[in-house]
Amino acid sequence: MRAYVLRRLLVAVPSLLIASLIVFTLPRLIPGDVVQLMLEEKAYGKDLEELRAKLGLNRPIHVQYFEWLGAIARGHLGESLWTRQPVLNELARRLPVTATLGFMATVVAIAIGVPIGVLAAIRQDGVLDFFARSAAILGLSVPSFVLAILVTLLPAIWWGWTPPRFVEFAKSPAGHLGQFVLPAIILGVASAAGIMRLTRGMLLEVLRQDYVRTAWSKGLREGVVVLKHALKNALIPVVTVLGLQVAAIAGGAVIIEWIFGIPGMGQFLVDAIVQRDYPVIQGVNLVIVTIIVLTNLSVDLVYAVLDPRIRY
Amino acid sequence: MANSVQTLPVPRALPRPWRVPTLVRLVLTFARRKPLGAIGGALVLALLVMAVFAGQIAPHAYDQSIPGARMKPPSSQFWMGTDNLSRDVWSRVVYGARISVTVGFATVALATLMATAIGVSSAYLGGAYDIVVQRVVDAWMSFPALVVVLSLIAALGPGLPNLILALSILGAASASRVIRGATLSVIANPYVEGARAIGAGHLRIVLLHVLPNVTGTILILATIGLGTVILAESALSFLGFGIPPPYPSWGAMLSGSGRSFMYYAPWMALFPCAAISLAVFGFNMLGDALRDVLDPRLRGRAH
Amino acid sequence: MDRTPVDSGFSRREALKIGGGALALAVTGPQLAASPAGAQTPKRGGTLRLTVLADPLHFDPHQTLSFLTMVPLSLVYSRLVKVKAGPSVKPMTYPIEPDLAESWTQANDTTYVFKLKKGVRWHNKPPVNGRELTADDIKFTYERFLTITGNANKPVLEYVDRIEALDKYTVKFTLKEPNAWFIDLLASTSTWIVAKECVEKFGDLKKVESVVGTGPWMLERWEPNVKIVYVRHPNYFVPGLPYADGVEMFIDKDPSSRLAKWLSGQTDFGPEYQHAVRWLDAPVARQRKPGLQTAEYTWFTSGATGFKLANPPFNDLRVRRALSRASNIAEVFESLAFSQGHWTPNPAVPAAFADWSIPIDQLGPEGRKLYEYSTADAKRLLAEAGHPNGFKVTVEAPSVVYGPDFDDFVAITIKNWKAAGIDADLKLKEYGAFISSTIFGKFDSMFLGLRGAWADPEAYFYRWYMPGQPLNVWGVNDPKLTDMIKLQRRTFDLAKRKQVIFDIQRYLADQALFGVDGSIKILSAWDAHIKNYGPNNGFDYGGRLMAAWIDR
Repeated sequence: MRAYVLRRLLVAVPSLLIASLIVFTLPRLIPGDVVQLMLEEKAYGKDLEELRAKLGLNRPIHVQYFEWLGAIARGHLGESLWTRQPVLNELARRLPVTATLGFMATVVAIAIGVPIGVLAAIRQDGVLDFFARSAAILGLSVPSFVLAILVTLLPAIWWGWTPPRFVEFAKSPAGHLGQFVLPAIILGVASAAGIMRLTRGMLLEVLRQDYVRTAWSKGLREGVVVLKHALKNALIPVVTVLGLQVAAIAGGAVIIEWIFGIPGMGQFLVDAIVQRDYPVIQGVNLVIVTIIVLTNLSVDLVYAVLDPRIRY
Repeated sequence: MANSVQTLPVPRALPRPWRVPTLVRLVLTFARRKPLGAIGGALVLALLVMAVFAGQIAPHAYDQSIPGARMKPPSSQFWMGTDNLSRDVWSRVVYGARISVTVGFATVALATLMATAIGVSSAYLGGAYDIVVQRVVDAWMSFPALVVVLSLIAALGPGLPNLILALSILGAASASRVIRGATLSVIANPYVEGARAIGAGHLRIVLLHVLPNVTGTILILATIGLGTVILAESALSFLGFGIPPPYPSWGAMLSGSGRSFMYYAPWMALFPCAAISLAVFGFNMLGDALRDVLDPRLRGRAH
Repeated sequence: MDRTPVDSGFSRREALKIGGGALALAVTGPQLAASPAGAQTPKRGGTLRLTVLADPLHFDPHQTLSFLTMVPLSLVYSRLVKVKAGPSVKPMTYPIEPDLAESWTQANDTTYVFKLKKGVRWHNKPPVNGRELTADDIKFTYERFLTITGNANKPVLEYVDRIEALDKYTVKFTLKEPNAWFIDLLASTSTWIVAKECVEKFGDLKKVESVVGTGPWMLERWEPNVKIVYVRHPNYFVPGLPYADGVEMFIDKDPSSRLAKWLSGQTDFGPEYQHAVRWLDAPVARQRKPGLQTAEYTWFTSGATGFKLANPPFNDLRVRRALSRASNIAEVFESLAFSQGHWTPNPAVPAAFADWSIPIDQLGPEGRKLYEYSTADAKRLLAEAGHPNGFKVTVEAPSVVYGPDFDDFVAITIKNWKAAGIDADLKLKEYGAFISSTIFGKFDSMFLGLRGAWADPEAYFYRWYMPGQPLNVWGVNDPKLTDMIKLQRRTFDLAKRKQVIFDIQRYLADQALFGVDGSIKILSAWDAHIKNYGPNNGFDYGGRLMAAWIDR
């Protein structure tokens, strides 16, 4: 087991390095660099060069890359080229926000996806299967920004009510958690279809296996068979999706954050891309990638514990 | 993007190479056994027809403004109403199908091509090549999808081909993982060993034995991927990175003025939104049904 | 993402009355307090809640043009002179009144001496800690303004030769050449007086901690993507002001969300830039908010059509005329959610400058015709110019960042051009790429963008048509035009200068050196309980808000 953990950790290192390289070069390939954007409409000849030098952007790109790696090794994520706010401080503020939103959305997704998946599997090609799956896929198929706009705008026009503005946890814990409910439902509904599909597929497969057939033949009641024998095994792969779920939410919740005014990672990142704020793009991405790699790692380990057939 | 569903159970080998029995009988059987899949198929078919015959179906050009018809509600003349630029919404939805189909199919084709090349080669060649390629795929997959797409579009410039390229690069990584898995189980089969033993070349083995056996997997991935691409395009439109005008993409119609006028002229948003939803629904249902049919582990009754 | 290429520099007509030769005329006294417009006695206290469209880019006014930075700073900083605000000021006029200056005199065409108010205190925040403002602060600020790398607002003061602090309360400006717009330009929203201690401590003023001013409110904190919170400056130099104890400036990037928050009573002012409400939403807002106060006036932003004059086809006057004749600006403004038919056509100086913009009917006969949409005439002009079948051209534009209204503007414009034979192929660029290439003049033939929000009327022809100016993307070098532009700068007499500027606008229209456009007549809106507020163009939200009070 220890060797397995070690090996998985070692494998993660090159992935992280490759990711850091992509993270570093990708934003610099975009036409229109940060200095041109800062100077907006006025190119006063040498201003561009001077500002580049001041920001340290005139040195060879590989020098900049290794300096950045060195700074990270010392625990510095750098500061925004625009606002000069330390990236780490902003991350400390935003990571919990996105994590809360992501956690609640995942709970919603599981709460909808797993039961529907089970129903759809045990009544495969029955009426219940059709309805359950149609509902889940419909939830996926309406763009989430439409739902978000509808729940913010229409109540405001009809009743003068709209979801309240963002409040910090320290100010009002209940209000803080409450403000994630609507966005989490919208995000969760969209992800539920994937979990439903996976649960259904896995359960269908498990239900055909010998030990389940044996359980049937022993005359056990359907509920017992499904819940006790089949579901437990079917859910193992579902755990792995959660790792991907993190990736989807970390970057994908931006539209929901945008409409609901939630200061999360997605908004931070999109603004940084538009402004070519290299240290922010690099810092945020690196943190997200690290989290995802670590999540996948722990998911694999959980998987290994749950399913003894996995080779260490 | 939040909606992207990237994981599928990895079907192992298909028992026999793909055969085409009488097509009609197949379709009928499929429709009887998988009515939802058949509905999905019908929706997809409708989408394709709209896309191919847009010029014949749409009463107006997508950018034609009809004098005196600004923001008219649905009527017998304009059954989906007109928008704030006096354009017929129905015509735009029809032409939008062409855009969605183009983006969807081109993206999925390109992504599948890349994914198949990566997945099959990685599994087949194995060794150091496999390890290196898989680490890159790991890194790529752990990126928030949005970052990849936004950066690529910003770098390449907005536009239909660039959007297709960006979305397909994004989709290829995770799909390649699934295809690699499928390939691994195919090449573990004795008949591949056999082919090797009688001295068949690598290309021959891949073309004759590996590819036909992972086709089912690829087909399922591609079908569901089509829905994902259509949704992704609408999300990107919202952020201003979608398909630029003058193309009447559903995402742009919905997130552009459709959204501004949502309360006052709901038909401007409702119909493109319905089109997106139906297309996504159709592709997903068809994909699910295809998997039920094609994946051997899901064949037969459970009890 | 909602960013407009913007600039500052305000033109204020009344201040020019002190011009008229070398006369020394002093303007004194604070005139802002207790406007007579409301019969009620102003109440102190409460928090004003408003919306801005995005986060500040950073907080250094000498490092950006953007309204995203200037608007939040307007609550915190002061300048020597400012645009008068309040219900008594007609929107679209920009009268000047003293801010930090007690009075000023103009010794000759190029020398100005300002007397500062005494006892002006900086905010009691480190590192400045509430010390008194002195003439050295003015000198420091403007020397930094003129010498710092990357100040895109440099044209506002680049003709200033030197600044001297004669004593603790006296500052002398010596100009390199006469500039009749000097006092107006000093009232620009980029000319805030900043503290030396902050620059020394933080290196620049980009950090939020470095925002220490002498203005009516102090910046308490900035929560990115959420809000900027301000508290009253207890030692503000205008006694009794500001009335509100605090301001919450909410950052809301989504138009539907901004509107919803306002409709549900979470903000007190209209949701768009300058507290406007889209005309489309106006009926709903009036219904939800009984007693809603509004003002309708012309915005100083408009669409812009740029083209290269050096190459065919736009080196031909007939082609340029055809381009404008083929544009249907009425259709544009009838279609947009924002305007819904409320608009004004713009000559070269936008209609938002009521005192300087020439009425369309006073243009020459050829210039007037530019505004008459006619596909047939456009086709005829093209045929005369040797393009009987029209021509193909690539048009660059920024992708969706300006919002659906801009996209609709582009769609309608291109459609109408096509109808006349100008087969425009739209080439979209990501916003950053557009700003850094097209705006810098790196485009093939044409672009569609937004014009301006420059706050002085001169900028609209000086920056676009003076040879050597970075924004002269057309490549205009017309000696007759250059002479006129130089002449108006030297003309201190208001009436005479106005005539020169009218002549410039007639000439530009006659030569069709721009594509015709119009501006939205926006509807600024504020709730019934907000008293003594008057909207206007420009980034000086703070100046307009400080005398407003809350009646609850």
